[in-house]
Parts: sequence; structure tokens; C-alpha cells
Amino acid sequence: MQEFKSLKDIPEQDYFTGGSSACAGCGPSLGLKLALKVLGPETIIINSAGCMTLLPLYPNTPLKASWIHNAIENAASTAAGARHGLDNLGNGDMNVVVYAGDGATYDIGFASLSAAAAKNERIIYICYNNQSYGNTGFQWSTATPYGSETKTTPRGKENPTGNTIVNKDMLKIMGAHRVYAATASLAYPVDFLNKLSRAKERDGFSYIELLGACTAGWNYDPRLTIKISKLAVRCGMWPLYEIEHGMLNLNKDFNELKPIDEFLKMQGRYRALPPEGVERLQELIDEHWAELKEYNKQRYV
Amino acid sequence: MREEEIPYKGIEGIPIIREPGSAAKVNRGSWRLVRPVHHSEKCTKCKICYIYCPDAAINWTPDGPEINLTSCKGCMICVEECPTGALTEEKEGA
Repeated sequence: MQEFKSLKDIPEQDYFTGGSSACAGCGPSLGLKLALKVLGPETIIINSAGCMTLLPLYPNTPLKASWIHNAIENAASTAAGARHGLDNLGNGDMNVVVYAGDGATYDIGFASLSAAAAKNERIIYICYNNQSYGNTGFQWSTATPYGSETKTTPRGKENPTGNTIVNKDMLKIMGAHRVYAATASLAYPVDFLNKLSRAKERDGFSYIELLGACTAGWNYDPRLTIKISKLAVRCGMWPLYEIEHGMLNLNKDFNELKPIDEFLKMQGRYRALPPEGVERLQELIDEHWAELKEYNKQRYV
Repeated sequence: MREEEIPYKGIEGIPIIREPGSAAKVNRGSWRLVRPVHHSEKCTKCKICYIYCPDAAINWTPDGPEINLTSCKGCMICVEECPTGALTEEKEGA
């Protein structure tokens, strides 16, 4: 297994070029650039309809690997099909990777994802989670955290909190499928690439969830993409951990989390979240963090 | 397996992009309001700007980063993340 110790170990070869139509400072497109450094050109990427669908637009593509545009419901089944096809043609060492958004993963494509995971197909599923349906204008999804404003959960006199529904714990769900499941952050590229390199070597299904900071939807200055991704980890909003065979491993452990305020005040989607909302969100985060600390290195699901 | 051996190659009219990475020649420089400028005397070659560029607009050379202004959309992540101040921003067209 290829292991990276510091930024200097990260390969200098890029299989991703500029010139795509992604926003300036786009988190998910940075995630794909980093992922391809480990995966290499011998990769088939299957993409559910979403923001990243707009990367290869005929007649140009920023990718130096193959890409399949796919319906939003069935990226995991397409990947399983591609895997079996490649194996039968004798191309077993090619990587099959799904790069899908959180709407396609948490909501619409969940049935096919669950089936592929239960069958333990040898594919890598990367979910770039921007916590909403970003491509259609930032609508609510089951990945949207408590207190976030979206187009379909606006703040108003009746409901000043915005989204009052707590997001799904997808890692636990995927962990319960007895596959390799991990979270990753753009601000910790070494950790992300090590997880990918591990997933690449595994003989089975791997699920990696990447927090893809979205400059347009989260409403912040594009230059802050990495700062915000880092704060999400430091505040406990996006803890970095992995689950394998039901065992939990916390990758970035902190004695004390930073208060969530620091993360919230950088983004327009949390502007005007009332103090009760901030308190409730802090409670939810502390609860999750305490659970992770308690079960670290133990059976979690 | 070679491409001509694939039995369904006869389907016509499906747009297939045959040149990998062809978007590199598309000019996204017009999106920019500010541009990053590199000062090699302050650079410690830590690679942070190169790793964090979402558009792969920074090429890594033995002499440090080389900014490709055709692909750079001016997000300024590199300027924000540079630990030594070797990258600064400059207004476009000024």
C-alpha cells in the first residue's frame, strides 16, 4: 500500500487539468483532483447527476481518466456492472470509482448504494458532501445539518432556525454494511489520500465521504474553502474517522473542540441563526463527539 | 481488448471526447478579478499552493510554483493558504 506521510510525498503527477466550468474555489473539484493523484489514469469514474457532471462538457474534459455520466439513482449499480465487465475482460486492476454528491448518495441513489455495499462489490464510492442539492440551487437534502438555511428551508418569522431536521448519520449506516467507511476533509489531504490508497488495495466495497465546501451555496468568499474545511474538523462538525469490520478508529483526536460559532460565522447560510439554534447545534455536535470518543478503537456498529 | 473488437462500436452519434485533458486550453482567465503573483525570494517550496489549487492551475517545477493564468479563476486559495506570504494578490487590469 502506498502511504503518504506529508504533503511532500503527494505525487506531482496530475490527471486533472484546469478549464472546467466549476466555480472558482470549488471544493468537490479539488477533491477529484486529489483523488486522481492516487487513482491514476487507469480509472473509470462514474458520476451521478450533480455539480461534477458539468466537468466534462462536450467537446472538452479536464480529466485524463474515463468518465461515465449516469442517472442520479443508480451510480453504484453502474459501477458494479463496470467492475464485472472489466473483470471478465481481464482488466481487473483498473479502478472503478463513483464520484457522487450527497443528494445522490443519501437520498435518491441510496437503494443502489446499499445493494452494492451489501454485495461487497470491489468499488470505491466517494461522496462529495456539500450538504445540499447544490447544483439546482442549494435545496435541502438529508445531509443538510441542523440550522442551515437552504432554498427549501428558508428562515422566517414562524421558523427562524431554517432546517430543523438533523442530518443522517451516513457513516454509521455504511459501517453497518460491514464495509470500509471513512470521512475525509480537503484540509487534510494526506489523510484523504491515505484512506483512498487503502480503499484501492481493499478487495471489497469502500465508502469515503468528503466534505466538499461549496462556495456558492454556503455563501462565503472562495478563498476560505480550505480554512472552512479545517474549521469543520476542529469544531467537531466533520470529525475524521473510519469504520472497518464495525470497529471505529478516530483519525484526528482533539482534547477540546473549538466552539461551533467560529465555523458558523464564516458562512452566509448560518447568518441570523438565533442563539437557541446555535446552542442546539453545539449540543448535537458534542453528543456525536462524545460517542466517537467513547467507542474509539472499539466495536461501533 | 482493442477498441475495434468491442461489438457495439457501430452506434453512431454518441459524443465521445477523445482528447484527455482538453479543457486545459479553455480560457477561464476571464473569470478573474484578482490574480496571484509569486515572489520566489520568500518561497520555501512547501507545495501547499500546488496541492490546494482546485483548478490545477499551479504547476510544480523544481524552482517552485508556476501559475498558469489560462486556467486560474482567481479564487485566491493559494494566497490565503501561503504560510510565508510568497504569493500576493494583484487587481486584474490595474
